Amino acid sequence: MSLRYLVLFCSLAAVAGAQRYDIVLAGGHVLDPANNIDAVMDVAVSGSRIAAIQARIDPSDARKRIDVSGLYVVPGLIDLHAHVYGYSGALLPDDSSLVAGTTTVIDAGGSGWRTVDDFRRTIAAQSKTRVLALINIVGAGMVGEAAESNTEDMDPAKTADAIKRSRDFVVGIKTAHFGGNGWIAIDRAVAAGRLANVPVMVDDKIFTNTGRTTREKVLDHLRAGDLHTHMYNDRQLEVIDRVKGKVQPYMIEARRRGVLFDLGHGAGSFLWPVATRAMAQGFPPDTISTDLHSSSIMVQQSDMPNCISKMMLLGMTLSDAIRRSTVSPAKAISRFPEIGTLGAGSIADIAVLELQKGVFAFKDSWGAKRLGTQRVECALTIRDGALVYDRDGRGFPVWSNAGAYEVLP
Amino acid sequence: MRPLFLLLAASVSLAPAQQIYDLLLRNGNVIDPANRRTGRMDVAIIGDRIVRVAPDLPASHARIVIDAGQYYVTPGLIDLNAHFGPAGVQPDHNELPYGVTTAVDGGSASARDFETFKASVIDHATTRVLAFLRVAGDPDAAATTARKYNRLVVGMAARDATSVEAALKAAEQTHTPVMAPAVAATLRSGDIVTNTYSRSASPPALEQVRRRGVLLDGTQGAEGLWFRVAAPAIRQGLLPDTISTGMDRASLMLPRATMTTTMSKFLNLGMTPEQIIERVTANAARTIHRSDLGALSEGAGADIALLEIEQGNFGFLDSGHARLAANRRFRCVLTVRNGKVVWDSEGLAAPDVLKAGPYSNFK
Repeated sequence: MSLRYLVLFCSLAAVAGAQRYDIVLAGGHVLDPANNIDAVMDVAVSGSRIAAIQARIDPSDARKRIDVSGLYVVPGLIDLHAHVYGYSGALLPDDSSLVAGTTTVIDAGGSGWRTVDDFRRTIAAQSKTRVLALINIVGAGMVGEAAESNTEDMDPAKTADAIKRSRDFVVGIKTAHFGGNGWIAIDRAVAAGRLANVPVMVDDKIFTNTGRTTREKVLDHLRAGDLHTHMYNDRQLEVIDRVKGKVQPYMIEARRRGVLFDLGHGAGSFLWPVATRAMAQGFPPDTISTDLHSSSIMVQQSDMPNCISKMMLLGMTLSDAIRRSTVSPAKAISRFPEIGTLGAGSIADIAVLELQKGVFAFKDSWGAKRLGTQRVECALTIRDGALVYDRDGRGFPVWSNAGAYEVLP
Repeated sequence: MRPLFLLLAASVSLAPAQQIYDLLLRNGNVIDPANRRTGRMDVAIIGDRIVRVAPDLPASHARIVIDAGQYYVTPGLIDLNAHFGPAGVQPDHNELPYGVTTAVDGGSASARDFETFKASVIDHATTRVLAFLRVAGDPDAAATTARKYNRLVVGMAARDATSVEAALKAAEQTHTPVMAPAVAATLRSGDIVTNTYSRSASPPALEQVRRRGVLLDGTQGAEGLWFRVAAPAIRQGLLPDTISTGMDRASLMLPRATMTTTMSKFLNLGMTPEQIIERVTANAARTIHRSDLGALSEGAGADIALLEIEQGNFGFLDSGHARLAANRRFRCVLTVRNGKVVWDSEGLAAPDVLKAGPYSNFK
């Protein structure tokens, strides 16, 4: 017995000494568009960083080896348009995003220059999810139609100042739901964007005779790098010309000039007839985002895997959808390659996705379903090197082999 | 004009005999333990009420017909213990997709801040949120608040052993149960012990209080369920009286304290689907003295869950993050709350896009 214990002790010591990696995700199909990786590889994490991606990593090098064969390993998803502060439908980030493989959420306009510090303190600092902000051109933030139409609270200088002193947190500007006439909201947002050198995301609500058009917006008022969100909505003559059924030439021209088109699914902005026609004519979103809030997370289930699944149903490859959910949004907010990649040395934000086969229903904002045969679901999420979500418990030992265990690492 | 008028009069005279259902769940495997009713039946809904539960109701008389043939049709589930409010989680997207239509907060609010809790959580939620009131020192204040909001406050919560006596005093004044985090000698018949299978639980002590009528809640939560405790206890017959998530910010992620996940753990620990569904419907309703909930009674509020049990290779974690290998799991495919479809993962109630239209954003 004593010899056996000695051998056991020595081998344990040897293993402990050799464990270079905290976590190894083994046998998954890695999709890392930033590094052109599309192959079965092992991914190693040390501390909060990605340590290695190799065809095979010795199991004895891993403190925790997680078998993810049959699953896709991708950079943590980046949701460029979500709502986690200010707005009455805001969700807490962790239980709405991390469980969906989204490791970074960008709050789209919930806070303004008056409230951005409160946002950081009460939500961002309390969340495991990386939370960044597009601050509203309205100083009070997204607190209702009246506030959002109050031009007196749209101050480009104060907005730019707030961005300059919080560049680690604020990545751009949002303007939305402006109910007044003319260009004040959009132009002041762009003016603040110029002062702080950040992009502007625009959700414009052109229902009535507002004295402005989408055409003028995307061609004359937005800059290269600014974002037109809710691209597949049906508000007016937006992406698709209703009579001809064709993508509007001015949208194609705006894209050529560098204006970015963001999905922003939400509860009212993803319509099958619009998305289907646009995709068939080669007009995909530059960035896939959810506009996730208390309404859209329910019946439409528009989290990132759901939006990715819908784009795949319309012909996008998984690899391309992952690019538009990682690299592209990271670049749009000038955070690439800090996030959006599995490159060695980058922060270990990782999603492990399951591509399910079967018959699935996907609902749009009108409430109509399209049936598809593939669905993406998140199986496991690593954020900043920590295993934060694990649908099937892959990363942990079976209880009956764990003795009188306490909380297992 | 006259023939049209006659036609109208004729159809009006037929109205009492022929009801038009807003929603008809057809041919589901109904499990309704409160009414001791199981089997293939249709469930018909008008407005926010269940109006008929019977086989072969006329589908032509329904606005929306859902084929429930592949699913269990159960009363909307009751999560007896969750943690909402400023330090907790949000109810709707963490409860409704898992079949829960009534969630009981396990003591986030005391008499002092109940009205804030009501305004910020209860009044905003689609989920019916009820509450155990945390008794913080003053039992009389808790009793006063409980009486004032007697449709919302269903009992008293003791956070720890030292507050059990105060909670009992408030509970005696209001004829409500106490929810306690561990066994206490003074708990009465009808009081509830949560965290039944915690790592510090003593099965003999649990058996003993159960003989006095104390109820045992199979709570998940951050501390409530350890497979090394629960597996042998359940094998020896110490089943929970109710099953709840105990969800809070920590446990919602790991070990994933949602309702169907927690139910799946007990399923793979050896309980039957019927036993589990009884615990999250009829038993939970009885525990909080709410016979109007947890049943598919004709005339009851239309809170309904469609569940299935999937086969496959799954795994579930406990409070210690240890894994239970599993070959079955509960999944909720559709939730009806107050007569409205609020969750529909398979699009059972949604029109196919080819039949939908004309599209307009101006609904």
